[in-house]
Amino acid sequence: MKNKFLRIISLCLCAMLATAAFAACQSQSSDTAAPAQPAAPAADAPAADVPQSAGDAMTLNVMTLWARDNSENIPTALRARIAQFQEENPHVTVVEEGIGDQTAYYTRLTTLAAGNDLPDVFVSRGSELSMFAQAGVVAPLDDILNSRPAWRDGFVDGAFGDLTSNGSIYAIPYSMLSTHVIYYNSSLLSEAGFDSFPQTWPEFMDMIAKLNANGVTPIALGNREQWVANSCVLSTLGDRFTGSDWFRSIISGDGAQWTDPEFVSALAALQEMSNAGAFNSDMNSIDNDQQKTLFYNGSAAMFMEGSWAIGAVVDDAPADILAATKVAVLPAVNGGKGNPRSMSGGSGSGLAVGIGALQDDAKMAVIAEFLEFVLGEGYSMEIAAKGEPTAFSVTGYDKSNVSELAALYAEMASSLAFSPIYDSFLNPAVNGVINEGLQELLINVITPQDLAERIQAESNRN
Amino acid sequence: MQPNNAASIKPRKAVLAALLLPGVAIYVFITIIPLFTAFGYSLTNWAIGPNRDFIGFDNYVRLMGDSVFWQAFRNNLVIVAGNLIVQMGIAFLLTVLFMSRAMRGKEFHRTVIFLPVVLSAVVVGFIWQMVYSNNFGMLNAVLRSLNMDSLIRLWLDDPKQVIYSVTLPLIWQYLGVPLMIFMSAVQGISKEVYEVCEIDGATGVKKAIYITFPLIYSSMKVAVMLSISSNMLVFSHILVLTGGGPGTSSMVLALYSYSTSFTRMQLGYGSAIAIGVFILSFGLVLIFKKLAEVGQSE
Repeated sequence: MKNKFLRIISLCLCAMLATAAFAACQSQSSDTAAPAQPAAPAADAPAADVPQSAGDAMTLNVMTLWARDNSENIPTALRARIAQFQEENPHVTVVEEGIGDQTAYYTRLTTLAAGNDLPDVFVSRGSELSMFAQAGVVAPLDDILNSRPAWRDGFVDGAFGDLTSNGSIYAIPYSMLSTHVIYYNSSLLSEAGFDSFPQTWPEFMDMIAKLNANGVTPIALGNREQWVANSCVLSTLGDRFTGSDWFRSIISGDGAQWTDPEFVSALAALQEMSNAGAFNSDMNSIDNDQQKTLFYNGSAAMFMEGSWAIGAVVDDAPADILAATKVAVLPAVNGGKGNPRSMSGGSGSGLAVGIGALQDDAKMAVIAEFLEFVLGEGYSMEIAAKGEPTAFSVTGYDKSNVSELAALYAEMASSLAFSPIYDSFLNPAVNGVINEGLQELLINVITPQDLAERIQAESNRN
Repeated sequence: MQPNNAASIKPRKAVLAALLLPGVAIYVFITIIPLFTAFGYSLTNWAIGPNRDFIGFDNYVRLMGDSVFWQAFRNNLVIVAGNLIVQMGIAFLLTVLFMSRAMRGKEFHRTVIFLPVVLSAVVVGFIWQMVYSNNFGMLNAVLRSLNMDSLIRLWLDDPKQVIYSVTLPLIWQYLGVPLMIFMSAVQGISKEVYEVCEIDGATGVKKAIYITFPLIYSSMKVAVMLSISSNMLVFSHILVLTGGGPGTSSMVLALYSYSTSFTRMQLGYGSAIAIGVFILSFGLVLIFKKLAEVGQSE
């Protein structure tokens, strides 16, 4: 009896194993074959759209940085364009994978790059792109742009600056953004005695003290994912002290050092802010969504994030907070070499193309069409109408739907210059050291000088 | 069960090998081979893409002097120690409790204690993030309502505190594992032993120390070994709770290897870290095994 039972069990187990192994092989082979012969349509594409003639049918894998329910203007507009492209080109199946967490997204991207298996089209920052370009895993897009001169020339000056490596363009920008905007609650500021945003550093620090005295967190900071303090605060604060030429010299490696006194003073200023109680005490364990929450519920007077947060504030902030929300940038610092009328920004990121597509002319043609359609005039009109700064210049769009906050931002941005976004240019290893170090700097575990030396040491290694 | 019956279900060697083959093949493919390829990668300066150059043992030289690596190792040791002392201790106490006749609702308690074990580590990480949250966290709310405000800490932001804060969820989640192992071992102790010692006048504590503990000692060794090996590789909890921060104060070995490889794109050095982790964990298990043998022979 027992004998028989054992036999049946082992038979079942064997059968299960065999099926599992078979299924694994099966799915693997269909995965790798998918781009070449899209016999099986992707789950979210209607089957009717795939034509019978398999000749020009293809799948376009697109990877983006936005969660499905992201309500910001750019992802919404971009997704609408992708859907329209899909509708007009039924023989192409566009499969979009959206990963909402920025750190997780870039981890996935670099893992794919390490295996030379990048998707056909994907969002990437300049810093990753230049690594990818060096390793030869992304396709240069100069040919695509040059064969479409009208489109190419429509982009604003400097739109490709962050996305160029060794003279070749590797991505098409989807907006001009700033990574540093101070969103402030003007009613909390006037309660502290400031009717306009301070224009000098001592005034700014005075405001922080007064806000604290009023029991308000001056600046909500959510730096758990580590990029916020770097991208949204230090990029601009550093530039105030060092000037953009210093950073360009760091990137090109001709002379400037991280240990230069200007940069160390920038780090010191950040630490001084933190010591003065400028930030919430749990800044390293909440993320940038939670920093907005502190602002929305009125317990924080400011938060610093990029221009991309405008849409989220307009959508999510309670009406009274939204009405009081205004925008500013950090004031000038004493003895700073940088232009105080600037904010870190640029195109920053864009849509890039994996090198795999370059093997296949038909696919490259579809990708070129896709990029022009998705990131062309129609898309730019749409985001411009929502008040987003565009990388492709458009005029005559409908201004009636621009939110008040977006208009405020546009007005401010028109009088400001862009300075480099640190994490768009730096090597990921150096970025990692800065990110980690800033968390320690903000809680006084490391001195500005030691952090500068640590960054320089990592920089020397690369 | 008669011996001849047992012999008849013992299959032929070829059948045995065929049955083992899939399991062994999977093990070799996902554990042994990657170990060797990782060692190969660790001798290169592989950053990304297809290019990599052989650089000998440079990565290992760097590893020896890498303070973050050793800090991560210390953190792992804190987690292992916390689990061995607190988790095993509680599990043993609970086992003794479960044996006593006074205990009611044993089934219920056992289920509740075991429940977190089957939760995903990511879910547990998020739950505890909410528990620890400074403004809205359950822990601080409870402390406030008990008028113990002085005990409120920045659970995940204080670099001196954070490693203990991330150890607690691990202790809580996996408490059920040693408990199950101890319980099944205790059930193997025959009733007569206890009856005899009760006649001799042994009370609860003495029973636990002189009867239960020595008789489940070998099962405890298994539980300890499992605990060491899983806690040396702990990853998801920390990634979700703190991401290794603030700075590197809650960094653990597996997370360091991962972030070096995939966030900082230093795949060669990341592989060297992974090999380092392997050597350290393996060494720790070996040392423990030696210690346990000495303890037993006494």
